[in-house]
Amino acid sequence: MYVKFPEGATKRTNPEAAADVVYDAVIVGGGIAGAIIASRLGAAGKSVLILEAGPAEDLTLKGYEGYLDRFYSATSKDNQSPYPVNPNAPMPRGTDARRISPGTPDSSAYLVQSGPFATDTTYTRVLGGTTMHWEAKTPRMLPEDFRTRSLYGVGADWPLTYEDLSPYYNEAEHEIGVSADVEDQSYLGVEFDEGYVFPMKGLPLSYLDRMVAEDVDGMPVELDGVRRELRVRPYPQARNGIPNPGYVPRGAVSTYQVEVGGRCQGNNNCVPLCPVQAKYHAGKTLSLALQSPDVHLVGQAVAYRVHVDEHTRRVTEIEYRRYDKPDSTHFTTERARGRLFVLAANAVENPRLMLASGLPGSNGLVGRNFMDHAYLLAWALLPEVAGTFRGTNCTGGITDLRGGGFRGRQAAFSVDIHNDGWGWARGAPMTDLADLVDAGGRYGESLRQGLVDRVSRQLQLAFMVEVPANPSNRVTVDPAYTDHLGNMRPILTYDLPDYTMRGVAYARQLSKRIFARLGAEDHTRYDPDFWGYAVYGGEGYEIRGGNHLAGTHMMGSDPKTSVVDANQRSWEHSNLYLVGGGSMPTVSTSNVTLTIAALCLRSAAAILAQLDAESAPIRLTSTDTAQARPQEVVL
Amino acid sequence: MTAPAFEEFLSLSVDLTAFEETDLLGTGLAHQYLAKVRDACGEEVVTALLDAYRAARAEATGDDGRPDPRRLDRALRHRVFSDERLGPVARNVIKLWYAGTWYGLPPEWTDCYGARPAAETSTVTAASYQEGLLWRAIAANPPGAKAPGYGSWAQPPRIDPRYRKGQGHDGTG
Ligand SMILES: Cc1cc2nc3c(=O)[nH]c(=O)nc-3n(C[C@H](O)[C@H](O)[C@H](O)COP(=O)(O)OP(=O)(O)OC[C@H]3O[C@@H](n4cnc5c(N)ncnc54)[C@H](O)[C@@H]3O)c2cc1C
Ligand code: SF4
Repeated sequence: MYVKFPEGATKRTNPEAAADVVYDAVIVGGGIAGAIIASRLGAAGKSVLILEAGPAEDLTLKGYEGYLDRFYSATSKDNQSPYPVNPNAPMPRGTDARRISPGTPDSSAYLVQSGPFATDTTYTRVLGGTTMHWEAKTPRMLPEDFRTRSLYGVGADWPLTYEDLSPYYNEAEHEIGVSADVEDQSYLGVEFDEGYVFPMKGLPLSYLDRMVAEDVDGMPVELDGVRRELRVRPYPQARNGIPNPGYVPRGAVSTYQVEVGGRCQGNNNCVPLCPVQAKYHAGKTLSLALQSPDVHLVGQAVAYRVHVDEHTRRVTEIEYRRYDKPDSTHFTTERARGRLFVLAANAVENPRLMLASGLPGSNGLVGRNFMDHAYLLAWALLPEVAGTFRGTNCTGGITDLRGGGFRGRQAAFSVDIHNDGWGWARGAPMTDLADLVDAGGRYGESLRQGLVDRVSRQLQLAFMVEVPANPSNRVTVDPAYTDHLGNMRPILTYDLPDYTMRGVAYARQLSKRIFARLGAEDHTRYDPDFWGYAVYGGEGYEIRGGNHLAGTHMMGSDPKTSVVDANQRSWEHSNLYLVGGGSMPTVSTSNVTLTIAALCLRSAAAILAQLDAESAPIRLTSTDTAQARPQEVVL
Repeated sequence: MTAPAFEEFLSLSVDLTAFEETDLLGTGLAHQYLAKVRDACGEEVVTALLDAYRAARAEATGDDGRPDPRRLDRALRHRVFSDERLGPVARNVIKLWYAGTWYGLPPEWTDCYGARPAAETSTVTAASYQEGLLWRAIAANPPGAKAPGYGSWAQPPRIDPRYRKGQGHDGTG
């Protein structure tokens, strides 16, 4: 299916006029979570207003190319480099991370970090949200990930099972267009419906993956008395491959699909930006949602406060600040009214907004149990040239240690084989170039040989280690820290538990064994001055953030120990849904977005049911003028 | 910019990068790169660099009129790479071709020879990143541009066997 972003869609709604409308639903955030819900409500004929903090630009070719040019020209190609600085809707940058001295919060960047552990985790506040720059790996969670408390005494149980979510996983995989093969993805209890096929065939493993597989496939690993054999397995990916019968991939939304938006072409630039939009981004779902004339979008609209009726505890409106331009501090205060409200601003911004509105929840759990993945990198040189730096960022990895009885004692992990060499760990290949030329005295032929020798043999393994929920890892706010618009900034308090660090230590040992099996030279050295340096059992490790934000408005079956129910509906505010990674009770070892998408598809059904069941709180009449197709309030 | 200076800059670049003149011209950036070096270091330094290069070639050229690679390597090391003023500039020219980025010169250089605003780390144009020779040297595409095509990553890299030799430090080889 090919859907172009409707031209002018970001401008067609006048915020003042919208303030007089009671929408069926007001959604804060135009990322994947908000887009999915908007698209389903819009398709059901409901009126929807999306408030988006990022600049109100259409996702047009011009806008997209602007991102690309900014990326090409940036001297530091960090993962936010395509996106302009916007003090009115600031975002964390990976390069912000600093070592935190005990007792002194680091407030130098938007995300205030009070430590003790510093993180470089990021998200993107532009239309389309963080999927504009995600890597797009889309594994499902394992059935055991939904029951880690009962099975292993760690983390929290979900009020849902894998079987409950499975139909929504199917739908999510089709919504975002996943390339994978069922044979490869059925492991550790993950099952698919009879006859299920992914929308597109799995992406081929890279030459590098296959070189690693030659030695790693069949490698025995014994953990907690259970022997298993490792193998290199392809990852499911939200990027266009070869479609299976009946599926038509969605291409670029910003232009006609002549030369872009087709299959993944191996640009190796999925983070921060896929130049041809082969990779899914939420703009694809938004384009669909905005086909409905009843789905409205107001950009440059930063939600400021959630207002709640004192007696009913229902949300009455969302107050937002609409800035004129990204570089001016001038704004107007507007309000958005609806029958239902959906916060889809992500697992840091959702609790930030609730807390800034004075709504910590009677159990005080809003903002608590922040989770992310802890990444440990290990890097080596293979004995032979593998042609590193080709393909998508990552095509394959080792996933056999995602589950098992050992999770009672130590964290599970999945392992990525990075097609981009030591880029993440050490800034390759530019650092290798500088080193060979400046310190190695190389030029000419010897430089070319040196580059092949140093870069094309690189292997970097990234261990994505699970972090269980812990109430003291949390997002808070403080009026002492605000941004340009006067919004309170998020403050993150974060530490890694021993459970995770045991997984980290084990990961490092395993990397040494893998390198030995490959005959690779281990070049891993962890720098004690690194901002994320953590010592465990006398060994130091560099730990990086995972960008997989979760847990801050955890779902559960008991209002005393959770913030939302299995439908992501707030226990306390019956017309409020907090959606996204924040609802997840465990992150386990899957990148969170596919699960977010599945949860939101499930919530969309619940929201529709609630809208239909509840009589409107305000007397409404309908008119058919263009702006007021959503019901207008009769005052 | 005088034509002979451009020709010499190109010839120097061929020796520094081990890419053919047609490859360098094919980037469409050779003139801009020479201009960048001029802006960042000044005319005088560029002239001195080209003079030293010309002298190195002359010194290495035998009776057949072609420079002997070993002698040229030594002459370049003696006259250019080990020179306080010219060494860092030559290394920067290499990195400019390979990365498309002009790297700021080290402080000991700017202390002695002056800092110009254009001397700071910068990309020359958005295209210069895409044209970096580094990517060609490792048979990869610049991430985000010149996509090699679906599934190409599953094939062995197309690297000329003579660059797979690895460890050799034999200068121009
Ligand atoms: C480098 C990187 C790589 C990643 N790779 C993967 C991966 O491979 N696989 C995976 O599953 N996940 C990955 N992720 C994570 C993934 O991007 C997120 O899980 C996902 O985007 C979350 O979607 P969301 O809609 O909940 O939130 P977001 O995408 O963050 O969207 C939130 C939206 O809300 C808006 N907003 C925020 N605050 C306000 C406010 N106050 N008022 C109005 N609007 C607001 C934002 O502008 C944004 O549009 C990666 C993330 C990063 C940074
Ligand atoms: S490898 Fe390239 S074409 Fe493929 S999804 Fe990533 S950036 Fe897009």
